[in-house]
Amino acid sequence: MKVAFLLNDIQLSGGVGVVVEHARQLQHHHGHESVLVLVREQEDPSWSYRGLTDLRVETMPSARRESFDVAVATWWETAFSLFELDAARYAYFVQSLEDRFYMAEAPERVGASMTLDLPVDFITEARWIAETIEATRPEARVFYVRNGIDKAAFPVLDAPEVRMRERPLHVLVEGYADVWFKGVPEAAWAAGAMKEPHHTTLVVPNRDELPDGLPADEVVGPVPRDEMAALYERSDVVLKMSSVEGMSGPPLEGFHRGATCVVTPVTGFDEYVEHGWNGLVTEWDDPHGTARQLDLLAADRRLLHFLRVNAVETARAWPSWDQSGQFMAAALERIRSLPPPQPSGRRLAADIRAVMEANRRMVVQRNELAAELEPVWRLKTNPHFVRLRRWRHTRLGRWLTWPVRRILRGSLREIRGDSE
Amino acid sequence: MPDWQERVTRESEPAIRVEHELRYAMAAPIIAGATLWCDLGCGSGVAAADALGRGQHPARTVLVDVAEDALAQAARELRHEAVTTVAADLSSAEGVQRVRAELLEHAGDGVRCITCFETIEHLADFVPLVGLLTELAEQHGFTIIASVPNDAFWSLENPHHQGSWGEGAFEELRRLLPSGHVTFAQLPLQGSAVAPTGDVPAEAHSVDVNVDAAGVPSHLLIAFGPETARVAVGAGVVQVDLAERRRWERERESHLQYMECELAKERAEIRKMSAEFADWRKYIHELEEKLGLPLSGTDAAEQAASAQNGAGTDDVTQPLPDQSQST
Repeated sequence: MKVAFLLNDIQLSGGVGVVVEHARQLQHHHGHESVLVLVREQEDPSWSYRGLTDLRVETMPSARRESFDVAVATWWETAFSLFELDAARYAYFVQSLEDRFYMAEAPERVGASMTLDLPVDFITEARWIAETIEATRPEARVFYVRNGIDKAAFPVLDAPEVRMRERPLHVLVEGYADVWFKGVPEAAWAAGAMKEPHHTTLVVPNRDELPDGLPADEVVGPVPRDEMAALYERSDVVLKMSSVEGMSGPPLEGFHRGATCVVTPVTGFDEYVEHGWNGLVTEWDDPHGTARQLDLLAADRRLLHFLRVNAVETARAWPSWDQSGQFMAAALERIRSLPPPQPSGRRLAADIRAVMEANRRMVVQRNELAAELEPVWRLKTNPHFVRLRRWRHTRLGRWLTWPVRRILRGSLREIRGDSE
Repeated sequence: MPDWQERVTRESEPAIRVEHELRYAMAAPIIAGATLWCDLGCGSGVAAADALGRGQHPARTVLVDVAEDALAQAARELRHEAVTTVAADLSSAEGVQRVRAELLEHAGDGVRCITCFETIEHLADFVPLVGLLTELAEQHGFTIIASVPNDAFWSLENPHHQGSWGEGAFEELRRLLPSGHVTFAQLPLQGSAVAPTGDVPAEAHSVDVNVDAAGVPSHLLIAFGPETARVAVGAGVVQVDLAERRRWERERESHLQYMECELAKERAEIRKMSAEFADWRKYIHELEEKLGLPLSGTDAAEQAASAQNGAGTDDVTQPLPDQSQST
């Protein structure tokens, strides 16, 4: 089978890493030809993912000249290019509901949401995504393929060593610093608010973007996988305070190396985190509550060890990439063997209504604003006002209005949005 | 495989036997009088024979397993009229293709049923088998009942199982199968009974059991195909054979102790050999010092050896020292 995976780029990201690994598994273990198709020009060189050099990477113009058995979009922007490829079947590997990456008024939010209306088969990595798609598109076929873990890079510990109170609680925070929903600064502040002795490590691929003054004992990154495994092993807790996730990988990787986790109840956390069993679940917007949970782990080393032992057991039961690759291969085989899916009138209609509603809200807001500004517009078109404005720019006008302008300078800058 | 009891025999623990029998009992109403019944990964056939008992036999029975000896035993145990055995590796496309050909040859017009219990988790690659099962159900009207263990709950690392199976993997599998499938949870039971002592015959008891389907299952089952509605659910309890259980557990403990002892002995032997080796090396180093040679096994010796190799012709291997001269 010849499969095209459409990607925006091949930069360092959990989502891209998952796609590359699936493509690699299909090619190495299932005899498929996997092609990574870049839908836009790459500005930076590719991240050195394991096995990337074994895969064929093509641009859209050259991929358009080929035929595929299945073409798979892997990110909402790539879905727009999906049907440009000649493929017998089209699928969409949904790793998160990506509209949530954007603020409410951003046009990308609507665009990302509407890609789920496309007549494609869906493959997801988390049950909550599958259930959400099924709830809005009951007729859609949704396959479920959990992300595997590289058991060679993150081998499961036989048994985690007991760590007594003599050693400060080692907390690891991971994520892109400037991505608002990853909650990296929030996690750093929460760890910093601990009362018990602790050591915080921030693993941040883009260190330059870190806000100033974040409390941390150590800042590292970007970090290759083997070093990441060593960092997890050194850590007692992986602290993750994301507000948007598909299925977050770092706490699970930490489980493999004997670290428990403190996480927000972000979507997908329940794929493997069980509160009080292998980790603790904290709340969003509660840095002090999170700090108290970390303090509890720092003080109660029996609880910490219990959670770490169960974290290792959870990791042991988590599938390897080999097993995950089999489910992906089976899903793609199934997609190929089944007739192409029908477009969803129901969800599309709902989305069109939602877009119209959003547009209507904007028009209403604009009209309200226009009504509020009406006296201002009227004043500005008044011939006396126009004459007065012209007069203000004469030498006498400037001289007479100078004290007033000086007083109002700050306020005018603020209104215009000028920066100092 | 005594410790994991992967293949059910007449000597297997009663609880394990009843667990296997119950699965076959689910399929019994469909198998009885079917045109074709195929048991994929049939093993010894003991559980199937006990569960299907004296019920109506299918017109044709196809037994599939990777082990020839298991197939022969299963055919003996079942005593069905028309039995075909197929030795095939279900993790290979070739093996699955042979099974497919065999099944389509004997498919006939009536009810066709496939049982595939505790097999998928043994396969290094389950993709060909899943493809076959979906094809047979969708295109050829087969009814299929399959099961996988909930190993993930206990984080069991069964050496005979490929990969980790549990509720997550079962959900992944479920979504690959045709719509209209029905899932089941097999839940373990525990109990006890009181009986008069003395020379009294065995007595059958009916037991009321409250089964909470939300409990943690030991196994997960799925049925799909036209006859799915006929799958029978039920419960089974069996008297624990404490004598056998004690034997099994003590055997395991004593074997473990024995192996640990063996291991300690081997380790002592290795330590002794290492000490002897160190003595020899010390003696060799003393000789080398007297002869003014670099000490073998050290960085200096390695460098000298590589320099010597580099100085010579590139393709000529250095001759080994003549052992007859050195002795």
